[in-house]
Amino acid sequence: MDIVETLYALFSVLIFPGLLFLIALAFFTDYFVRKISARYQRRMGPSYVGPFGILQPLYDFIKLIRVKEVVVPRYGMFRVAEVCLLLGIGFIASSIVFLPLSPFSVVSEFDVLIFFYLSSVMPILMLVLASLSMPGPYTNLGVSRLLSILTIAEPAYFASIVVPVYLASRHSQPFMSITGAYRGVHTLYRDPLTIVVLILVVIAFIVSVQVKAMYPPFNIPEAEQEIIAGFLTEFSGPTLALARLLHYLDLNIALLAGVYVIFGGPAPFNHFSLGGAIMLIVKYVVLLFLVVTVKNVMGRYRVDQALVSIFKYSLILAVLAALISTFTT
Amino acid sequence: MKCTVLTNPVEAIYLVTLLLGVVVLVLIAIYYGLRSKRVRYTTTYLSGEPESVVSSISPSIASLYWGFMRRFAKTLYRHLVESVHTGSLHDWYRFLSSWLALLLVTSIIALALHALMR
Repeated sequence: MDIVETLYALFSVLIFPGLLFLIALAFFTDYFVRKISARYQRRMGPSYVGPFGILQPLYDFIKLIRVKEVVVPRYGMFRVAEVCLLLGIGFIASSIVFLPLSPFSVVSEFDVLIFFYLSSVMPILMLVLASLSMPGPYTNLGVSRLLSILTIAEPAYFASIVVPVYLASRHSQPFMSITGAYRGVHTLYRDPLTIVVLILVVIAFIVSVQVKAMYPPFNIPEAEQEIIAGFLTEFSGPTLALARLLHYLDLNIALLAGVYVIFGGPAPFNHFSLGGAIMLIVKYVVLLFLVVTVKNVMGRYRVDQALVSIFKYSLILAVLAALISTFTT
Repeated sequence: MKCTVLTNPVEAIYLVTLLLGVVVLVLIAIYYGLRSKRVRYTTTYLSGEPESVVSSISPSIASLYWGFMRRFAKTLYRHLVESVHTGSLHDWYRFLSSWLALLLVTSIIALALHALMR
């Protein structure tokens, strides 16, 4: 890489759409989830910090990082927890170079697999390791529940991301590349065979994102009233701030991936145009609104009910979509 | 203006790992510069109960495995027990040979398809 490419790469992973942008987006997502949930419950939600309370998540983050002390349980290894959480955030920020939103774009065959590994597998693994570094009975219960539901939800999420990329890039080069595929995704909605696949993929995607976000009816790993805060129980102050940030970044990147590979990103507009930017924002907010709505209208499942539901409404549909997609030419 | 690097998957992994290292270093610098320096050590949170209420602070790996098998994979586990653990060697052989036969047939079909496509 020459100097210009290096500068582009650093700008992309550190400023836009990398670390700084993703953190801002995580704060917006946090605000949106809290505000819409509050309106569903006839409350005001965040209202006082910044216009319409939009700076409340930033204020909470700074309070947790700067003001609150680090509380470490007797058997805890808080430095390991901190490093794992920072690594998780780093994985998500560096995966952004595979999305077409980035000014510095890395394109290769099968880059969707690298993207999935960086943006979905590693952050969750880091969250699990961070939780286990601060052990306690409630934490362990939360982690075992998290691993149980992710065992089914992650393959479904993987299939729902990979199938549209395969369909859109099967006749072009580079094969299975997000940047190569997202331009062709909107044409799949015009084919009667591929639209069936995409409908199955959309349902599987929304259910699996609901699981990844750990929102009702799948908020089993941090079920309040049952296991205190589950895998988050022993986090406090700065570690809690990092864990919450990582959680929202995980939701952000999953939704961004869905916006690009399932809904075609800025389509029908060009990427760097006003229409394209508006279309990206609209698609992201609509998907987020859908997730928040499901969160607020459903109660929590038991673990066994959740496993069966994820299997039925996410994994089977995703596998079916993958099977049908193999018959398309 | 956009800068695109078209590369192979292995080089893409190297490149992204390098960028990951930069991001994590920047994150560590910012985080440790910002975070509160006060640390307080406490006992494990057990809803106000002493540690003696739990026999071990972390469940063993074996407990997690059997908990999962018994609670969530009960049907599968029962099916396996009823098919294989009957006390008869014939049942075990029938169960195993049926799956081996399925694998064998699948391999033959895959090889035949591969030969036809070539």
